[in-house]
Formats: sequence, C-alpha cells, structure tokens
Amino acid sequence: MRLALKALGEKTILVIPACCWSIIAGAFPYSSVKVPLMHTAFETGGSAAAGIKAALEVQGDTETTVLTWAGDGGTFDIGLQALSGAVERNEDFIYACYDNEAYMNTGIQRSSATPWGAWTTTTPVQHPKETPKKDIVAIMAAHRIPYTATATVAYPEDLVRKFQKAKGIRGAKFIHILSPCPPGWKMEPAYSIRISRLAVESKVFPLYEVENGEKWTITVWPKREVPVREYVKLQGRFSHLTEEDIEFIQENVDREWERLVARAVQ
Amino acid sequence: MEKVIMGNHAVSYGAKLARAQVIAAYPITPQTQIVEMLSEFWAEGLLDAKFIKVESEHSAMAACIGASSAGARAFTATSGHGLALMHEMLHWAAGARLPIVMANVNRAMGPGWSIWTEQTDSLAQRDTGWLQFYCESNQEVLDSVIQAFKIAEQVLLPTMLVLDAFVLSHTQEPVDIPDQELVDRYLPPYDARYKLDPGDPHAFGAMVAPPHYMELRYKIQKAMEEAVEVARQADGEFREIFGRSYGLVEKYRLEDAEVVLVASATITSTARVVVDELREEGYKVGLLKVRMFRPFPTKDVREALAGARKVAVIDRNISFGHGGIFAEEIKSALYNGSHRPPIFGFIIGLGGRDVTPASIRGIAEYTFEHDTPEMEIIWREVKNS
Amino acid sequence: MTEEIVFKTEADMPYLPMSLGTTLVNKTGSWRYIRPLYVDKTPPCNHDCPAGEDIVGYLALIEEGKYKEGWELIMQENPFPGVCGRVCPHPCESECNRRELGGAIAIHTLERFLADHTASQRPSVQASKRYDAKIAIIGSGPAGLACAYHLALRGYPVTVFEALPVVGGMMRVGIPEYRLPREVLEREIADIEALGVEIETNMRLGDNFKLSDLEDYQAIFIAVGLQKSRKLNVPGEDAEGVIPGLELLKRVNLGEEVQVGPSVAVIGGGNTAVDAARSALRLGSDVREPRSNEVTILYRRSREEMPAIAGEIEEALAEGVKIRYLSAPIELLTENGWVMGLKCVKMELGEPDESGRRRPMPIAGSEYALKADTVIPAIGQEADTSFLETGEQRLIEVRRGHIFIDAAGATTRPGIFAGGDVATPFGTVAHAVGSGKRAALAIDKYLRGEELSGFPPIDEAVHAVPKDMDPAIVRFDDLNPAYFEEIERTEQPQRPIEERVSGFEYFGWAQYGEVNLGFNEEEAQAEAERCFNCGTCNLCDTCLIFCPDVAIARLVAPPYPVPLARLNGAGYEVNYDYCKGCGVCAEECPRYAISIEKEIKWKK
Repeated sequence: MRLALKALGEKTILVIPACCWSIIAGAFPYSSVKVPLMHTAFETGGSAAAGIKAALEVQGDTETTVLTWAGDGGTFDIGLQALSGAVERNEDFIYACYDNEAYMNTGIQRSSATPWGAWTTTTPVQHPKETPKKDIVAIMAAHRIPYTATATVAYPEDLVRKFQKAKGIRGAKFIHILSPCPPGWKMEPAYSIRISRLAVESKVFPLYEVENGEKWTITVWPKREVPVREYVKLQGRFSHLTEEDIEFIQENVDREWERLVARAVQ
Repeated sequence: MEKVIMGNHAVSYGAKLARAQVIAAYPITPQTQIVEMLSEFWAEGLLDAKFIKVESEHSAMAACIGASSAGARAFTATSGHGLALMHEMLHWAAGARLPIVMANVNRAMGPGWSIWTEQTDSLAQRDTGWLQFYCESNQEVLDSVIQAFKIAEQVLLPTMLVLDAFVLSHTQEPVDIPDQELVDRYLPPYDARYKLDPGDPHAFGAMVAPPHYMELRYKIQKAMEEAVEVARQADGEFREIFGRSYGLVEKYRLEDAEVVLVASATITSTARVVVDELREEGYKVGLLKVRMFRPFPTKDVREALAGARKVAVIDRNISFGHGGIFAEEIKSALYNGSHRPPIFGFIIGLGGRDVTPASIRGIAEYTFEHDTPEMEIIWREVKNS
Repeated sequence: MTEEIVFKTEADMPYLPMSLGTTLVNKTGSWRYIRPLYVDKTPPCNHDCPAGEDIVGYLALIEEGKYKEGWELIMQENPFPGVCGRVCPHPCESECNRRELGGAIAIHTLERFLADHTASQRPSVQASKRYDAKIAIIGSGPAGLACAYHLALRGYPVTVFEALPVVGGMMRVGIPEYRLPREVLEREIADIEALGVEIETNMRLGDNFKLSDLEDYQAIFIAVGLQKSRKLNVPGEDAEGVIPGLELLKRVNLGEEVQVGPSVAVIGGGNTAVDAARSALRLGSDVREPRSNEVTILYRRSREEMPAIAGEIEEALAEGVKIRYLSAPIELLTENGWVMGLKCVKMELGEPDESGRRRPMPIAGSEYALKADTVIPAIGQEADTSFLETGEQRLIEVRRGHIFIDAAGATTRPGIFAGGDVATPFGTVAHAVGSGKRAALAIDKYLRGEELSGFPPIDEAVHAVPKDMDPAIVRFDDLNPAYFEEIERTEQPQRPIEERVSGFEYFGWAQYGEVNLGFNEEEAQAEAERCFNCGTCNLCDTCLIFCPDVAIARLVAPPYPVPLARLNGAGYEVNYDYCKGCGVCAEECPRYAISIEKEIKWKK
C-alpha cells in the first residue's frame, strides 16, 4: 500500500471494500492513510470507484487517481461482477487486488483464489482444495482493458513501476498483488517477503503485465529458479501435501509458465 | 412549458432540472424509460452529468454512493427486484449520510414474476434510513424529484420517491415542466460539507465500535425528525416559486368526516373521486393522502384524524404475518395520542390488479357498516369459491 | 496529531463515520515480543585481517569514490597499504563470503588501488600531543615500523635502529622488486618518517650497540626478524654454488651481482622458495634468450600443502619454473667443492603432523639424481637471539627460538616488548604490522602506567581505532542471497611473461618490472561493488521498503558522513511505538546488519 501510494502520489482517493484493510485503515475516528479513503461494501470495489471517478470528472478534477484496494474475496468472488462491469466500461481507475488466497479476515476460509491443495478452515487437510486458483489476470485481460499486471512486494521496484505506469494510462487498470498472510498461510511473519520472492522464483506467481489484453510481457525473469517445493515447504497450509501432490503442482506451474512464456513478447 | 408525458419521463425531467451530476442506473421494467430518456438528454448534451451504465442495481447504488461521497449530486432509479438487490447499499447510503435521490417504480416481487404495481418493494426498505415520498401524479413525480434533492441535501439523508408501475410510470399526463432558471433558484448547487478530497483527506465509513456506533444512529434518527419540518418548508418554498405544493399529507374533505379513507399514490386519485360521489350522496366521508412515509408525519396524521370516528386504510402492499403496512403505521401513530378511532386495514390491488372506484366505494361502505373491523386484515376482491 | 480523540457527548461527534485523526494513536508496538536492532557485525575479512583493517569500511568508500578517505581508513591501522596490497597472502579473501557467488573479493588489489591512487597525497593525520618518553625500536621491518608509526601517531618520540644500510627489513631485502617496487615501500616509509620517527641504519644490535646502551629510552621494542636461514642438514651443503634463498634475495635487492648456473634447484615450498626461484629465473634470462636456465623447486609435500601464496606459485609455473612435489634432497653432489647436482628421494604423505599437514615420509628405494649447478635452500629462517646472551638481558625469556611475549607483546622484562617474526610464528608483513601495532598500544599503556590488559590473543588482530561492531562473524548463511547475483571476480592485469622474465633489457640489472599491475578506477569500482558489506549497514533501504508497519525512519541523507560504512545503527531509527516485531527487516536485510532481540518484558 505504501509503495502504491508512493507511486501514485497525494492526489489519490482510496476505495476499500470489506477486506483486511477495512481494519488496517483504522477504526473510527482514525485513519492510517494520508489520502481520502472510502470504505465500502464487500462487492462494490469496482462500482463505488466508478462513481467517485465520475463525480471527480463532473466537478472538473481529471488529475486525481482513484485506487480500489481489495482482497481476493472482494475481487475473485463477491466483487467480480462489479469489477467486471467497471473494467468492461473501461472506467478510469486502478483496481489493486492484494491476494492472500483465502478469506483471512473472517478466519481463513477458502476463496476462488485459494490454490489447489491448500488448507483452509473450509478445506481441511482431509479434504484440501481440489480446484485450481482462478486465473483472475486472464479474466481481466479478456476484458481487453488497457493494463493488467501482477506484482509482489518482494519486487518493490517492479511494483512501483507498474503503479506508475497504470497511473499514466487512461481507462481500467488491474494490478494483482500476491500478499502472504502469516496466520492464514501458517508461516513465520518474517518470511513474508521471502515467500513472495519464492513465489516468483518458483513461477507460482510470475510477474508480468498485459496491455490491451494482447501484449503480454514478463517483467521480472527470476534471477534464480527454484522448484515449487521451496515455496510450499515454508507454509504450513501445504504441510499435508505428499511428494506426488507437490509434483502435481509443479507440473501445473510448469505448464502455466510455458503458456505464459509462449504468449509473452520476448 | 406543458407537455403530455408519462410518469417515467417526468422522473427524467425532474433529474435533469435538478442538475443531477452523476447518474448510475440499471434498466428494469417498468423503470426503463427513466434511464432511456436520461441517456437521450445526456447524448443530446442537455444533461451535464456522467452517466454510468452499471451492470446491476447494487452497483448503481454503490456508484451513487461513490459519486455522492466525492461531492456530486447523484441520482438513480429502479424498481421491485432492483430495489431489493440494492438493499445493502441503501443502508450504506443512509449510514454514510449521502443525499442521493432515487426514483422507485413500485413493482410486485416475484415469484411468480410480476411487473405490475405494488408497494411492498419500497415499503420493505422503510428501515434503511431513506426518506420516502409516494407520488400521485406525473406532475407530483417531477416536482418531488426536485424537492427530494432540496430536502436530502439539508438533512443529509438519501431520499426515495415512489411511483406506481404503469398506472403512473407509463401513463401520459399533462405536466408543467418548470423553467430551469426557477429550479436553479429553488435548488442551489450541492456543496458537500465533507467529501473525498485530497486537499482535506478523511476516511469515510470505517469500523465503528460499540462506544460510538449508537450515537451515529441517534444522529440519523435526529436528522429524520428534522426532515419532517425541512420537507414541509421545502414544499412551502416550492409553492412560492412554482405555485404548486403537495404537503406531507393531504387532507381532502375531512371537515365533519366520520369515516376517513387513508390512501397513498395513485389510489388517492380514485379515492378522491369516490369521496366526492359519496359526499353528494350524503356520506360524511373524507380522504387522507399520505405522501411522506419516512419520516412518518405522525403529528400531521394525528391532527388530520382528530375528528374521525372510523379510519379505513387502503394498502396495496402487505407485510406478511402482520398486515397492510400503512394501516400498521397509522395505528402506531395514533396509539400514544388522545384520539384512537377504530382502524380498518384493507388489502387490495396486489400485483397490479386494478383498484377501481367501485373497489374504493366497497371499502367505504364496509367501514360505514361496521362499528369495528371484524378482522385485523380485511382482504378485498380475493376470489372466493 | 497522535492524541486520542475523546467524544464527551454525541454533539462532539461528527454526524457520519469519518476520520478526524490518525491511527498513530494506536501504539501497535505493544504487540511486539521481539525487537529489531541495527547492530553491525564483523565481516569475515575484517576478522581475518592480521593488521586489523576495516576492509568492508574501505570497500564501501571505494564504491563511493572516496579514495583518500578509504586510504586513510586503512592508515588508521596499517601504514603499509601499498606493501600489503601487493605482498600480503590476504587471509581476508580466504573466508570472504563472495566466494560463493563468483569468487572472493580481490581485497588485496583494492587495498593496493587505494595506496596507488593516493600516491601523490600524504596522510593528514598528525599526533595531537607530545610525550617526552623516548622509545627505541630495534629493526625497521614491518613490525618495527608499524610500532614506530602508531607510537609516533600517539605523540611519542621514536628512534628505530636498523642493522642494514637500508630501511624496511624483509620488505626491502626479502621480497623481490617484481612483487614490491621499491618506490612503493619508500613512499610508505617516508610517511612514517614524516611523523618524526628517526631511523638509524647500520646499527646492528649486539655488534654496534647493546640493549644496555638504551637506558635513555623508557621502552624498547625488539623486532629483529629471523636472520638465520635453516640448514638442510645434508652432506655437501657447504659447497660452492649453494646460496640460501633469503641470502639470494637480499643480495639481489641490495643491488649486488649474483650469478646463477644454467640448472638451478630451489629447496622448499614457502614464499621465499618461490621468490628465489622466480628471481633465479630472471637472473638467468636475458632478452635474447629468455629463461635460458632451468629452475626447479623441490618440495617434500604436495601442491596442496605448499605454504607459498597460491597466486605466486601459479605465476612461477607460468613463467617456467618447474616444481617437483614429494621430493627431498638427501645429499648435494659436489665436484671440486662445487655443487653439481642433488641426490633426492621421493616422498609419500603419512599422518598429519603437529602443523596439521600430512607428514612426508621417504619412499625406500626411490632415490634419484638431479643436475644442478646452483642450489638454493629455502626451508625457513630462525631467530638469531645471540644478542641476548650477556648480563641481565637473560631476563628476557626465549622459548622455542622465539622471544616469549604475552598478549600485550611484552617480554618477561618490564619495558621491553617484542614482535614480528622474532616473537611470533606467522611470517607475513600483515601479521608483523599487527604485532608492531599491538606493542605500540601496549607501550602507550605502559608509559602511562596502565595495566597491560585487554589485549586479544596473539593470533587475533588489535585495533588502534576500534570500530563499533558485534564480534559475531558474518557467514554466507547469515546473508540474504536474494539480493546478490553471481558476478565474476575481477583480476588485476599482469605484465606479459616474456617481459617479466627478461627484465634486464628494460630495467637494467636486476630491475624487473612489477608482475601485477593493479586495478584502474573502473576495475576497482566494479570489484568493490561486488562486496556484500557483510554485517554492515550501507543504507540500502531494504528494511525501510519492507517494514509493514512503516516503523522505520531513515536518519541520514546525502551527503553521507564518512565513512558511511560505519553508521552502525545511526542510519535508521526503529519507532518501537509501532514496530510489531514481525522480523521482516532482519530477515530481509541482505547483509545481516539487523539483529533480533527478545523483549525483556516477557521475562519473568
């Protein structure tokens, strides 16, 4: 968030639908950010932002950036409709989804962003998640919006660059940020950055961008490549996985990566 | 300028004249012409607004909330299921103290599917913190849109004006379309006290813990109470400029009336005709039109019914398990007062079934014939074997 | 505004849920049970430098382009960066964590770069006070001169007595010029003399004066080095054509003409052996017929055990020196009193001996003969302590051939200190510098009547200007490899081999061009940038960027204080009101400059 706001500057209005940031942003009568912020209902990240942007424009303000900052639940699931509507209308705003791959605020229930095989309270180890994570970036890219990107805080320069780039583009921009949640992923808080980095190095979460739904560019080629095992083993939510399970994830990751490389401009 | 227009277009004209700045709406029968005509106004450059063609009513209200939070005059229109889908955001708009104005075309709820008029959709939203006005004519619809912004922006609560599906929405009536200049004099530009402003950043709508929540709710109720007089004043000012007013309630031939019919929306017009007929026949009957439903004009209602021996409330709605909603509201308004006449609650015309002069006459006759109601809910015109 | 907002009545409250202050009022630091602390830790190079240099400190200064400051940072500890940058076996590099990613930093070349780059400048340091107590130093080698330097810096009048007509000890006569050009040494000695140090040459203790003549001096430092070459103890050793390695080097360095035969055999595996072999190669070459002689080193162990600097061995081999491993002479073959060859025996390695190296054992029946008309034994030197043989000087104890000293460098006789090779077993310039510095610090204490305590063991470095850092040594596993890429080590260029070995035509008799040519500025920058700055905060901002609580503030902005590399916690401030103790800063710190401590409040 700090990096995003640093990239976007003071002339930014934040929209926060229900998510962890509904708490982090501060309870009444306080705020943890120095820009105006509107809390809004869970499924309205796209629509509320559209209203704000329209209000700014009709009042002659074309400078201020509207940034929706939403969790994976509000983006992949309950808010998908409003998000799809807003980006299809090519509303001039940035929608950032910080994805911790489950409903963490309510106590770690699975979302459609939860990866295959992960434990959550609603996908217990006897019956972990059986379906893959929803490919939200592909969904956004399929809307042919001007800009879609992935980012992680482990690569701050890449993240800042993407927010700056998004700021300079008119129309709908979507930035998907992988955000480890220590209790939800059953990991050491100190490993937050390390795990984010491993997600990129293992290609579980490649860093790339898509322009106009057509031009795919890998923005960070991992300096070193690591097997998925390295990423998975630091997280208790995967501790029940067998070698075969991890191999299965590896195969899927490899296939997705090949697909990405194939359609990325070199 | 007088034009013959349908109720939906009266809404569109009202929003245009009120200089709504952000309109976010989703089409639903029987509201569609409101949105269509606003789109035309916008396309022709007659409307200096942003029109967000959202993908649902929920998003429509969310977008209005965003727009209003950012300081714009926001407007939307919906009906029936669309209103129900908005429900969460109706609470939000009121809690956020945003003067959004919405037109709701009353439509019966499914299943089975019905597109015809019934008030249950809007009355079911009575606890969301919105002001509600029920309109009788296309002129009243247009005028009420303008008044609604005036009131909402003073008390900082959202306002809904309600019109019957088809009976008003699609029915052409001659309507005086006021001059923009006069409307501008009546309704100055919206100047939000607080808004999303990078120059004065605040966070809006954060978590409020028990030590503070109740006080904020208390303030909403205080604003509602204030709205009664604000609405009366707005109506009075409207008369001064435009020569028309509607009151919070309308008392029709109540002098020495033993039976008072209570109605809202278009049923009022029919009832007015029936009252005239019955008066000619010698019945001491009158009519009370309830225009403002939220806040409920308790004082006005008590005063209007002070001389009534019996009260007949006509409800085109039902709160299942209890009864007609207007009837319940009237009962509760009178209960703590000094005069408590018997109150007859009639349910009629659900799902758009016509309420004819004969229907009203039947209700009046029933009331004259009985000292007290035989049952709490008196169903009218239900097919019996 | 961080005060708590209190609403006494509902009228005080806004009509809608809006913020009126910041969440800073919520001191989330109270959730913390561990706290991060900026604590610089000891880089392995710093730890392993016998001269006690702050290596990471000056590498950072090179990166910043602050060469004079870098040089002066070395000069705080070691007055011989130009010498050590050339001849030190650089133990600093052997544990360098960069080894894992492209090879150790070429620290010695960077040290040399600083000395060379600032050759036209003189140090700005001067003694701030003057003491009257005079100190005598015997020997002008690295130990003696380092001791003189540090004492002079502290304001003491120092006189150095040197036996030879030239100053510098082994640096001057024991190291060939192709490794250490004379002007480099002379420049650094001049800097020491500029501090007021007096040097008297041709004053050999025992011959020209005795310890008892030094009564005017309040303290004496003996650093006479090792003067006796060890004997082979084989028949024929006294024949003509046999010249000890150190003797050969000394004569060449003093400008004497030395003749070697066409077949030269050098016995030994240390630096003197390699230096002697390469010198012999040069002496037998001329530009018309380079390498006209054959020089063979005989070493009784294998390459792995060879104590000479690896790079020097490689250079020797490249130049054409041959090495026969696992070979030892058992007799020098002579004819008419002149050596004609050697009788050797092949060896095999047995169990490790007390030095930790595997003991060489002769293989019975493996004897062979080798032609040699010059034989150069170079199997080590011994101390000559004959000057201690009279009178009360016996009070100075000698153990195993070395003058015995304690951790302060003090001998058993009060007021008399010793160091360098005569008192310690290390045999390098850098160790001698450290030893001289140790004695200087001890003498300073002694003269001020303080107890000679607090000195580290003799095999650890002492610091004239201690740098504030945790003694814990940073190892590769302590670093965060995500921030470092593999980058190949930069090697300094070398003079072409033909030019090296046929120096006569270019440089005159026995004037050989320096083999190693050092870094230019670009190379130095590139190499310094490879440094991980182990354990040393260099304001990289990683902690600042990643702190999820925005609880870290940067305290300094450009232009940075000098040296930047020793901010040690002064670069950032953790706001413990808001630090929740997640540990991300310490975990992510690329260089282990942040420590984690348990909060005391949890202790019962």
